[in-house]
This record gives sequence, C-alpha cells and structure tokens, in this order.
Amino acid sequence: MPAVRTVEPMMLGKLDWSAIPFDQPIPLIAGAVVLVGILGVLAWVVLRGHLPYLWDEWITSVDHKRIGVMYILLASVMLLRGGSDAIMMRIQQAVAYQSQGYLPPEHYNQIFSAHGTIMIFFVAMPFVIGLMNLVVPLQLGVRDVAFPTLNSVGFWLTATGALLVNISLVVGEFARTGWLAFPPLSELSYSPGVGVDYYAWSLQISGVGTLVAGINLVTTVLKLRTRGMNYLRMPMFCWTTLASNLLIVAAFPILTATLAMLLLDRYLGFHFFTNEAGGNVMMFMNLIWAWGHPEVYILVLPAFGIFSEVVSTFSGKALFGYRSMVLATMAICIISFMVWLHHFFTMGAGPDVNAIFGIASMIIAVPTGVKIYNWLFTMYGGRIRFATPMLWAVGFMVTFIIGGLTGVLVAVPPADFMLHNSMFLVAHFHNVIIGGVLFGAFAGFEYWFPKAFGFRLDERWGKMAFWFTFLGFYVTFLPLYVAGMLGMTRRLQHYDVAAWRPWMLVAAVGMAVLTIGVICQITQLVVSIRNREALRDRTGDPWDGRSLEWATSSPPPVFNFAFSPDVRGEDAYWDMKALARKQSLEHEGPEYHDIEMPRNSPTGFVCAFFASIMGFALIWHIWWMVILGGIGAFATFVVFAWRDHDEYVIPAAEVARIDGINLEERRSLVSMAGGV
Amino acid sequence: MSDQTHMHVEHDIAPGDEEQHSVGARILGYVVGLALALLLTATSFFIAGTDLVWQPSIPVALIVLAIAQMGVHLVFFLHITTGPDNTNNVLALAFGLLVVFLVVGGTVWIMAHLNQNMPPMDQIMPMRN
Repeated sequence: MPAVRTVEPMMLGKLDWSAIPFDQPIPLIAGAVVLVGILGVLAWVVLRGHLPYLWDEWITSVDHKRIGVMYILLASVMLLRGGSDAIMMRIQQAVAYQSQGYLPPEHYNQIFSAHGTIMIFFVAMPFVIGLMNLVVPLQLGVRDVAFPTLNSVGFWLTATGALLVNISLVVGEFARTGWLAFPPLSELSYSPGVGVDYYAWSLQISGVGTLVAGINLVTTVLKLRTRGMNYLRMPMFCWTTLASNLLIVAAFPILTATLAMLLLDRYLGFHFFTNEAGGNVMMFMNLIWAWGHPEVYILVLPAFGIFSEVVSTFSGKALFGYRSMVLATMAICIISFMVWLHHFFTMGAGPDVNAIFGIASMIIAVPTGVKIYNWLFTMYGGRIRFATPMLWAVGFMVTFIIGGLTGVLVAVPPADFMLHNSMFLVAHFHNVIIGGVLFGAFAGFEYWFPKAFGFRLDERWGKMAFWFTFLGFYVTFLPLYVAGMLGMTRRLQHYDVAAWRPWMLVAAVGMAVLTIGVICQITQLVVSIRNREALRDRTGDPWDGRSLEWATSSPPPVFNFAFSPDVRGEDAYWDMKALARKQSLEHEGPEYHDIEMPRNSPTGFVCAFFASIMGFALIWHIWWMVILGGIGAFATFVVFAWRDHDEYVIPAAEVARIDGINLEERRSLVSMAGGV
Repeated sequence: MSDQTHMHVEHDIAPGDEEQHSVGARILGYVVGLALALLLTATSFFIAGTDLVWQPSIPVALIVLAIAQMGVHLVFFLHITTGPDNTNNVLALAFGLLVVFLVVGGTVWIMAHLNQNMPPMDQIMPMRN
C-alpha cells in the first residue's frame, strides 16, 4: 500500500528507526551512558527540589557572572566529550598498524570530525567567552554587560549547537568530512546522509549565539566603563577581549554565509561548491579560511590577556610594556585578516600570491613575539609566586614558542608543500591551541575560580594536573611532529608503514598521561568543593590582585560594586590598596543608594528550546516542525520586546548590608597589613 | 584617544538609546535622506540605459552613484556623524570597510590566481591527439 508508506516519511521527514545505530555498540553505549547520566542529574534536581533554584538563579539568569559560569561548565563537559574522541583516535592509530584497528572507517571519520568541531566550537569558544563574560564587566568596574538578556540568548544558542552535535551520536550520524566539511566531499552527492546537516545546522545556530556574544562584549568594553577607566587604563584582558570580539563580529558572518551556501547546495540544489554546473570548491576553501584564520586569533587573544593578568599578578609587578602590548593586540587583530591563504598554499595559486601570504604569516609572529618578551620582562626582577595559574602561564610560554616556531616554518610555502596535511601540521596546531588556548583557559579557570565561587582551588591537585597535562602534551604531540616528517598524513584510519608505529605508540602513552592530568583536574575540583570552608576567600582578593575584579567580594554581589569605582591609573585596584594602606581605611561611612538591575528572563532558554526543535527538524527535513520552531522563537522575541518591566530595584539598605560584610573583612586585612 | 573618551563619558549615550531630537527634525532628516536615495537610484537607472553620455563612462558613473548612495544611508539612516560621541561608530565603520576590502580584494586576487600551477590547457589538448 504505497499511500500508507508515503504518509510516514511526510510526518517525520527522513527520520525513522534506521537512524538509530543499533548495529554499532560504541556510540550506542556511549549515548546510553550519557542519557542515563543526564536523566540521573535531572531526577536528582527534581526530587531534591532544586528545580526552582536552578530555574530562577541559573537558567533564566541574565547576570553576566552566572552566564559566564554556565559557558565554562558547557565547555568543560564538552571537553570531556572531545577528549574521549581524542583518546579513541590515539588508540586506533596505535593499534591499526597493518590491521583495521577497532574503529571501522566510517566511524573513525565521524570521530575526528566531531573531535575538531567540538574542541573548537564547543570547548575553546565557550571557555574563552565564558571567562570574558565572567571577568570583563568586573574589570571594567560596571554592573553588567551592555545587553544582559541578549547575553543569555547567546549562551543558550551555543548550548543548542552542542546539544545537536551530541544528538548525532545516537540519532543518525555526524559528518565524516573533517571539522571544516570541505566540498565536494560535503556535498549531497558524496555525503548523502544527515551528518553534514548536523554539522552545518549546529554551527549555524551556535554561530548566531557567538555573534551576539561578540556584539555584546564589544559594546560593553566600548560603552560601559567606570569613571576614569579610559582606554589606556583598561586591564590587558579587556583589550584582548575587545580585539577578539571585534574579530568575532567581523569574521563569524563569513562562516555563516559560507555554511549557508553549502546548505543551499545541499537543500535546494544550488551549485556554489559542486563539481558540476559552474560550482567552485576553491571558493569554499577561500571563504571558510577567511573566517578560520581570524578564528584562531579569536581564541588565542583572550588567552594572551589571561596570561598578561596572571604574569603581572604573580610577579607582583605592573605589566611590562603595557602600551606595546595594546599595540601588538590591535596589530594582530588587523593582520589576522591578511594571512588566510596559508591554509591552502598547495591548492594552485602562483608564487606572487603564496609569497605575499607567506610573508604576512611570518609578520604576524612579530607582535606575538613582542608579547612573549613583555611577559618575560614582567617576570624579570619580580617576586614570582609559582601558584597554579602562574605554572600554566610559564608552561604556555615554553609550549607556545615551540608551536609558534613550527608555525613560522609552515608559513614558508615551499616547506608547506612538504608538510601540508601531514601529522606535522596536526602537531603544530595542537601545539598552539593546547599550549595557547587550553593552557590559557586553565590558567584563567584557576585564577578566577575564587572570584566566581568564593573559595580557592586546591593547589596540590592543581599543580599535579598542570604537570601531568604539560608532560602528557609533549609526549603526545612531539612524536606527531616526527611522524609528519616521516611522511605520515593526517586522518589515517590505518597504515602499513613500520617507521610510524613507534611514534604512534609513544603518542598513545602521552594521551594516557594527558588523561591523568584531566583526572587530576576533576579531583582538584571535588577536593576543593569538599574543603571549601578551609579554602574560603573572605577578602575577595586571594592573589593580591591588581585589577578591579578583586576590589569586590568573592563571589561578587549581583550588582558587582556597591559604588562605581573611581579609576586613577593602570592597575586600578593596586593603587586603591596602596592608598588604603596609607590612610588605613577604605571607606568612611559610605552613603548607599538604590541599585537598579536587569530582571531575569527565560527568553534565552525558550528561544534556544525552539531553535533546537527547528535545527533538529531542518536536519531531518521535518518541515512542519521547522515552521513550529521558527514561529516559537519569533514569538518569544516578540513577547520579550513588548515586556513592561525590565529592571528591579535593590534598596539601599540591602546594598549596605551586603557591602558591609565584605568591607569588614577588608578593613581587618588593611589593619593587619598596616600593623606589620 | 583615551583622554578624549574619558572626557565624554559623562554625557555619552547608553547603548540602545538615541539622541534626544525633536520629532520634526528627525522626520525632516529621514525625508531628506529618502529623497536623496530615490534621486540617486533614479539617476542610476537612467544612466544605465542612456546614450546621452560617453558609453565607457557609464560603469564609473554607476560606481560613483553607488558610493554616494552608501554615504546617504550612513549619514541619514545610520546617523554616522563626525561628532565626538560618534568616534566608536566611525571607527567601527572603518574597521568594517578594511575587513571587507581585505576579504573581497583578497578573494578576487586569490581566485584569479588559482590555476597558476596548472599546465596550460591549450598545450594539453594537442597532446591527447
């Protein structure tokens, strides 16, 4: 009966029971474990009655600190997912010598595609955006970001993207095309499944989230600075945030447009990037890297900012060469748009084009070198405390220089012709992204954790986590350089060359050491939460900090500062402390005022809920559900736009009570310091 | 840059807020903008099909008119001015233009050079015979 058989596909598009991979135990078991985990957490939350708290204080929160924490939580969970993919790949390459290993090719291809996509878009991006969200308004001495509700929308849309990628684990499949889904492989004729659609729609939705986060943070830095905080008094992290978010605003529309063209090819029979009918795959390479190279700096610039803060704080000195650091940051911001061709030197361009882009790629190493020297000179002559954040910073400097040097090497077109798509390249970009971005994220995590939660992290476990991760990184990735030199190309599911085998085995051992590092990090968190009373940060300034985030309590009150701080120079809080020690008082009977704060709003969560439905429906061609999701998201926006009350008032008495607790702690600190 | 910004922080405009002008002045601004935009559009269509001017000058004239059109939009609808409170907007515009120039110009240049390392097709064809 053909009539019956056509009704079902109409209702659910391409979706039916064959989408669930019952024949593949690994994704099914992994998916089941994750599902049971999520259901367990949900059940615990509901049964213990935490749901109202979660809804009121977190899900609907428009507080930049809460949203920042949620971004980092998302990134941490996804780091475990992307890390599991990495472990599986390392094991596969260790065992798949003259054999098929344990992962069939189509599954292995999905794993390396998911690993790259997840690590860049759902680990590195949310981690740095989370830290910027958490810290930048505090450093600027203001009460919130420029657009608090938009901030929440941005976070939840990012979470939608992450959700869709993870759904692909059990419903359907993920892309097998690598993390940038190059056509013609990603076109319908070569990838007819839903994998590329999962990839493209999750990036389109989370890309919107990233774009609004970028607009929000640019506006915050440009428009919402406290009294006296002019541009050249901003902490370095605010500068790198500005540069990074300018790049987001400029570059992410390119990604969105490029993926939109790919989707038009796949859904509506267009021919932007197809082999036939005038399509040009090289235009995809060109456009995706015009986004992709700035993206590298979007990730690493905030990390540079974190290291600047950490190095200066733990050396007990002002940042060396502050103005040259600002200049280097903005130079990177511009030059990062002039180097993208170095990702496809080998694809046919002539010597003029390759030489110019090769030289530009080497030039961009200069401002980065300036920064390295500035950090070294900041440390020079300082009284350095090797706390965990500082260890990450020093580890970064060593690792990033190696990664940077191999980068300058592949910036030479003739060398790149030898190394393109080899394991050398894989080693190089892991060298800069792990050594730069991930070490930066961990440094920022350790450094600002006390600010976010009011207690420090356990130093012993933190140091162990650093050393295992640091050593594990070298043991994993230095062999990959060698394998690349021996001619091993990337993304090999199996191989027959005996010379590569030992290096793959060493890399697998390194991966085990890295895994111990991750376990130490988790243990550190658990141990610290258990010992939180002993680790409590009462003054709000656990590291003897220099910028304004340390001028308020830990965790900061919802309004951040009872008074807008008055900034008179660089290192604003350092100056205030010096002044306070001299006068042995911070404030004398301050007069408090009512504070207006933005009301919580479920807009972000509801929008993302409908966006998830819409994304899932688009992937599976369930058109009625697409319309439903679209209408729902638009209706949410309309309801938000027409709301009457967008702020609530915290009375002066309440402000006085909250601020008084912290002021007492600080007074005792100052009097102690004055007495010594 | 910095000191100037600091001075203007006090009477700066919060994001999302607009300057307080009387309604009449604002409507007048939009009407003038609309009239200029329509005039430039009409001129473009007229120039494109006319034989009153020297033919090779037509593309140049269209480019000039397009740039003027963008200028009208920026000034009358997006309110880009040279005032001190508009520094951020002007800088953002400059940054945007620079990025567009780099990406579009770079793309045209790259795509035009893509087949440099291909053997010339007219020399391959005879070899097949």
